[in-house]
Amino acid sequence: MDDVLVTGLGALSPLGAGVAAFWRGMHKAGTAPSRVPDPLAHMDHPLMYLVPEADLPDGPEEQDGLPLGRGSRFALAAAREAVADAGLAALPGASGVPGPGAGPGTGPYAMGSYAAGPYAAGGGLDPRRVAVALSTGMGDTDLHEGWWTGEAPASGRWAPPFPLASVVGGWFGAQGVNTCVSNACAASGYALSVGADLIRSGEADVVIAGGAEAYSRVALACFNRLGAIDPERCRPFAVERQGTVFGEGAAVLVLESATHARARGARTVYGRLAGAGWSCDAYHATAPEPSGEQIERAMREALREAGAGTGSESGAGSGAESGGLGFVIPHGTGTELNDVVESRVLDALTPRTPLYSVKALIGHTGGAAGAFAALAASLVLHHRTLPPNVPVGERDPECAVPLPSGSAPMTGAYGLVNAYAFGGNNISLVFGEAAA
Amino acid sequence: MSDARAAAGPRMATKAAPPRRAGGEANKEAARDEPAVGLVVTGIGTVGADGFDFRTALGRHGYKYLPAASQYFLAAAKRALAQAGPDALEAVGPEERGAAVGTNSAAVALHHTMDRTVTATGAADLSPVTAPYFSINLFGSRLATEHDLKGFNLTFTSPRVAGLEALQTGQRALATGRARRLLAGATEEALPDGEPGADTSEAGAVALVLEPEPAARSRGVAALGRVGVRSFFLPPKAAASAEGAEHAAALLRDALDALGHRPDRPLAVTAVLDGSPVGEAMAAALDEKALGGRALAGKPERVPAGAGALEPVARVAAALAAPDGHPHAVVTAAAEGNAAVCLITPGDANAVPGAPAGTDAGVMPGAPAEADAGAGSEQPMSGRRRASDR
Repeated sequence: MDDVLVTGLGALSPLGAGVAAFWRGMHKAGTAPSRVPDPLAHMDHPLMYLVPEADLPDGPEEQDGLPLGRGSRFALAAAREAVADAGLAALPGASGVPGPGAGPGTGPYAMGSYAAGPYAAGGGLDPRRVAVALSTGMGDTDLHEGWWTGEAPASGRWAPPFPLASVVGGWFGAQGVNTCVSNACAASGYALSVGADLIRSGEADVVIAGGAEAYSRVALACFNRLGAIDPERCRPFAVERQGTVFGEGAAVLVLESATHARARGARTVYGRLAGAGWSCDAYHATAPEPSGEQIERAMREALREAGAGTGSESGAGSGAESGGLGFVIPHGTGTELNDVVESRVLDALTPRTPLYSVKALIGHTGGAAGAFAALAASLVLHHRTLPPNVPVGERDPECAVPLPSGSAPMTGAYGLVNAYAFGGNNISLVFGEAAA
Repeated sequence: MSDARAAAGPRMATKAAPPRRAGGEANKEAARDEPAVGLVVTGIGTVGADGFDFRTALGRHGYKYLPAASQYFLAAAKRALAQAGPDALEAVGPEERGAAVGTNSAAVALHHTMDRTVTATGAADLSPVTAPYFSINLFGSRLATEHDLKGFNLTFTSPRVAGLEALQTGQRALATGRARRLLAGATEEALPDGEPGADTSEAGAVALVLEPEPAARSRGVAALGRVGVRSFFLPPKAAASAEGAEHAAALLRDALDALGHRPDRPLAVTAVLDGSPVGEAMAAALDEKALGGRALAGKPERVPAGAGALEPVARVAAALAAPDGHPHAVVTAAAEGNAAVCLITPGDANAVPGAPAGTDAGVMPGAPAEADAGAGSEQPMSGRRRASDR
């Protein structure tokens, strides 16, 4: 079966624009949430880890006549970087390709020019074998929130709230499967897994996959109402944690079949998506099932599929020592029960394997959280360095997992990524080393 | 592109055997006896918003505070399971049951109401019961709790095609061993007044029960038919160009080929389309000539698309419920470029034991003709511990 390689990365995050800024920020390990710049955010804790003002994309306001919200603009920014990093160019028929033809000029579906031409613009890519699998929890809800508070829609055209994958597909000219997965905070893990399935099944050669999430007043207000916002910061596994703090941004990975990547001479291979495990608690709308049975099942399945050791089989050292699992990027939100249940399972399944918390760095990015964890895992595997965790204060004794405070060489061959969600949705992914 | 792929030219289908990734040893073991090839629909549930009463549809207790779209989907699933029979799900363990739902607009009206509360008086006045429903996946998640679905519970939100994507990705997940039974469909709630698109709102739900054909046969229930979905993307700018219909026709042909439809077999077509350049290009592509000489069973029926993902799935359900003796394609597309084809093969044809592989009747639409049935096949080839602790 063809390996699924990661050949391009893109990011827009509270650490700034670009993957380089993200990697630098992982090593700097110093961030804090800020107050959302929304005078109508009437809630106790209007806090988020926000994309810095200076790094916000300056548009587009619309694409092909569809007004875009913050989520779509974030997704576009990260996708642009990822496909450029992969050495791919937008395809004929793409909104991102300027051309001489003219589309309709007025009306609800007004759009700009169309560039016809051979596939050459895409560097030999067959547009029908390029898929997009992106995720989001809130999509472009901010756009609708603006309309509900006095801003006028530009037209009467229906504006679906979750057009992120469509916008990226239209921008790039990808004609394969184009799907938006919205399994809440596990969504981008599922988007990546679905993308890998598309490659393994032979339906796609290249998948632009990941997730995007942006400030939504409704989402932040509801989490406030649920009493789940930490008034200080996102501090997973800390004894004083009081909930989570949302973050925003987009992380996009270019997934590519190994055969295709080799044939076109892909310049960088960050790693491979080696395994995935899905499960559902079927227990409660919002609370995790306390035994952790289903998250353990997902982790075991992902590790088994990847062929990665857990470090617990021999009882003689960690997976890293045997070239197996080198690190875990946990779901770890800072909510009380989630962190305890996940820690308990990790302690039993992957003992002594170090954790790296993305959420302590950039907050809980919801529908993009799994993609940010996958981005971080790819960078750790590529640079063979595990950055220091952001200090979270005194550790909860019920969360007996290693959170190293210093940078360290990464000796294992695999990284485990967990993403869980409302509705009891669980997914684990295993990324492995890979050569170009 | 690899040499082999380059030689084969553009294609959407694969003839390679799909990955047989197992959802645990139990699934793997079971798959040997019960291949995912040949999933059939054994239950259909449809619910409309008009006259809907959750008390009669679901029961008096436990549903009052669920948002409407969640009630609709639960009720549709209940009806589908009633038709499929009491052991449709229980024949397999909880970890072998999956669900997938598509929706675009289930949460918009609720979000609108919530936002008015937040901006007027503050988040403290939000209902704690409905607050979790800021998350769109909650609308389908109660289903997992009620029916002990531990395999997976997916939510898709792609414009207009989300319901068909739920069928497509859900079936692919079964083919790759992540579960052995599937509940899939779509649910929508009407948009609030003044919202763009409110005049074409959808409200209601459709749910289908899918299981391997041998399982249905062994339970003695009727296979209502098979559904195979292929989704793709027609970039809006390409659709609006002079070659728009040509692009659309090429993508449609690829999709029908991938779904295993024989060009000489009469095909009924229902097209759920809007008036966008994408919709018009797809409509123009739906004639016999553009589709490469495929025999159409009459003029394609064009149905106005609404502001949601429900209508295409409702049309699939209708075609399954009232088979007209030949394959039926439900085609849909959104102004944003998302498009999908669902090929419905009537139940009678599917009931033919030993029907030749590679025909509409022999395999699940889109399954590779030479795939080893035992290896399975993907469908288109193919508080604080409190309620907020995620």
